[in-house]
Amino acid sequence: MEKTYAKALYELASKEGADSKKLVDTLIAHLRETGRMKLLPRILLELKRIDARAGTLMESLEVASESEISEATKEAKELGINANATVNKDLVSGWRARTGSRIIDRSGKRALLDLYKRITAHA
Amino acid sequence: MESIIKRIEEQIAGFTPAGVDESVGIVRETGDGIAEIDGLEGAVMSEMVLFDPTFDRSLEDALKDAKSVYGLVLNLEEDGVRAVILGEASDVFEGMQVRRLNRLLSIPVGESLVGRVLNPLGEPVDDKGPLAGTTLMPIEREAYGVIDRSPVNVPLHTGVKAVDAMIPIGRGQRELIIGDRGTGKTAIAIDTILNQKSEPAETRPICIYVAIGQKESKTARIVAELTAAGAMDYTIVVTAPASSPAAFQFLAPFAGATIGEFFMDAGRDALVVYDDLSKQAVAYRQMSLLLRRPPGREAYPGDIFYLHSRLLERAAKLSKEKGGGSLTALPIIETQEGDVSAYIPTNVISITDGQIYLQADLFNKGLRPAIDVGISVSRVGSSAQTKAMKKVSGKIKLTLAQFRELEAFMQFASDLDADTKAQIDSGRRMTEVLTQVQGKPLPFEIEVAVIFAAINGFFDAFAPENTRAAQQKLQEFLEREGKEALELIRSTKDIGEDTEKVLRDALTKFTERAA
Repeated sequence: MEKTYAKALYELASKEGADSKKLVDTLIAHLRETGRMKLLPRILLELKRIDARAGTLMESLEVASESEISEATKEAKELGINANATVNKDLVSGWRARTGSRIIDRSGKRALLDLYKRITAHA
Repeated sequence: MESIIKRIEEQIAGFTPAGVDESVGIVRETGDGIAEIDGLEGAVMSEMVLFDPTFDRSLEDALKDAKSVYGLVLNLEEDGVRAVILGEASDVFEGMQVRRLNRLLSIPVGESLVGRVLNPLGEPVDDKGPLAGTTLMPIEREAYGVIDRSPVNVPLHTGVKAVDAMIPIGRGQRELIIGDRGTGKTAIAIDTILNQKSEPAETRPICIYVAIGQKESKTARIVAELTAAGAMDYTIVVTAPASSPAAFQFLAPFAGATIGEFFMDAGRDALVVYDDLSKQAVAYRQMSLLLRRPPGREAYPGDIFYLHSRLLERAAKLSKEKGGGSLTALPIIETQEGDVSAYIPTNVISITDGQIYLQADLFNKGLRPAIDVGISVSRVGSSAQTKAMKKVSGKIKLTLAQFRELEAFMQFASDLDADTKAQIDSGRRMTEVLTQVQGKPLPFEIEVAVIFAAINGFFDAFAPENTRAAQQKLQEFLEREGKEALELIRSTKDIGEDTEKVLRDALTKFTERAA
């Protein structure tokens, strides 16, 4: 039950121009009316979980160096990812982007790691 | 030289990684060998996932510790998946990246597995180095259908007289070995593997022994026993010891079946021993409860029957069109206090084509193997029995049944009439003849000759309590001086008039000499 409430609340709150105070007031009034006020702490917990999940699966774009930002942003856009690029030197070269549960990894780090695994797997 | 260096440098500078586009998730929670994962959109049941510790590390750190842990997707939920961790659960942490591998859980199979000891993921756990020349096969596979199968009609000799005579097993059959702990269940299975050495190499089945939840010392002892007898030349051991994660114990029988199927698909015969499925059921119950699946009877999940039926249904005798290979299954179930009506035993009894029931009472009386002939059956094996064995084994069950009825009167032996006493003695002799030392399976022709001697009164000259020793002497005599009779039985697989005459002559010679 709390999952359904939390999900509905999150979806409504994510809409443009949503009034969070009005949403919370309406929810509390509804819970009171239906005698489900004890669900409120659990709805809060679930809401926090959904928010955290959305954060970790949010669109992101990482590039290995500043000089690669424009190229990486262009390539990512072509793949439907419109995120602001951040620099992550651990990538060695190239870029990687995330959208939801999809990752596009064009970094040198990933290529080198895959190569290393392939070589050592047969060693 | 400079130009070469320059060219290579240009090549390296121009290297653009092809890149990967994959579905990933993030570990939300982990504990007790189970990981709850957010994301992983499109993941399917039984799909392999990779817990990747390198995602947030620098290349240097990642290369230092590039150890990956695999997982198996078992629950698909609205906002993520639950997977069992196949490996060190402590290496998996919250926030860890998880990658889909887009393939069902698979293990390497091939000829090079023979003689090896593997874990359920097909990784060698002996010290013989990596496997070579293998291909990957999914661990879960739908069993062959009716059209692809042929009736069970080739015997699989266990080398255990009582089994081969009264509860015969055919290639492609599923015969359950059931009994309390310490009643000799594993011994029958191991004897069966050892006995395959007496089979001609071209028809000898590849044997797979799957140890589930066993003590590692026991598995080591079995491997040593098989090695000493030269049986590892055609045997593969899959081990998921008691110390391994529940997921490994759940997967081990499926790994064994997959390896067996590889040989069956190649038109060869294979034998797989699951020792034992009770422990697999317990491991599956543990996993299911941790995956928050609703518990049913004895807290087992609702699909516990399907777990065993889909595994055992993979045993088959294939049609000629499919190559004619076979996979025989000898599942083992441990009962508590002889209770065969418990949940798991009744399930597996109903799935298999018969059962060999071992009784603690008989074991304690010194009867080895301690088979309760009354409730042990083989539903399809009799059609696979050789003519020779059929001819001699017909009377055994009757003699033993009559003996069991009269056994109660044995304490009044002095007051019994001569006929009853003779019947009791005959039953006692037969019981002694069927008694056999563990680890010494007999070739089929010797089994037939010994049982022939027993049912035709060649042991009547010996007191019932001396029959076991007399039988041992007869075996030695036949191997020494009855070679012609044994060869005739082996080659014709029948006891025709000529064979019977030669055999009778040899047995008469033996009794005369013994007298």
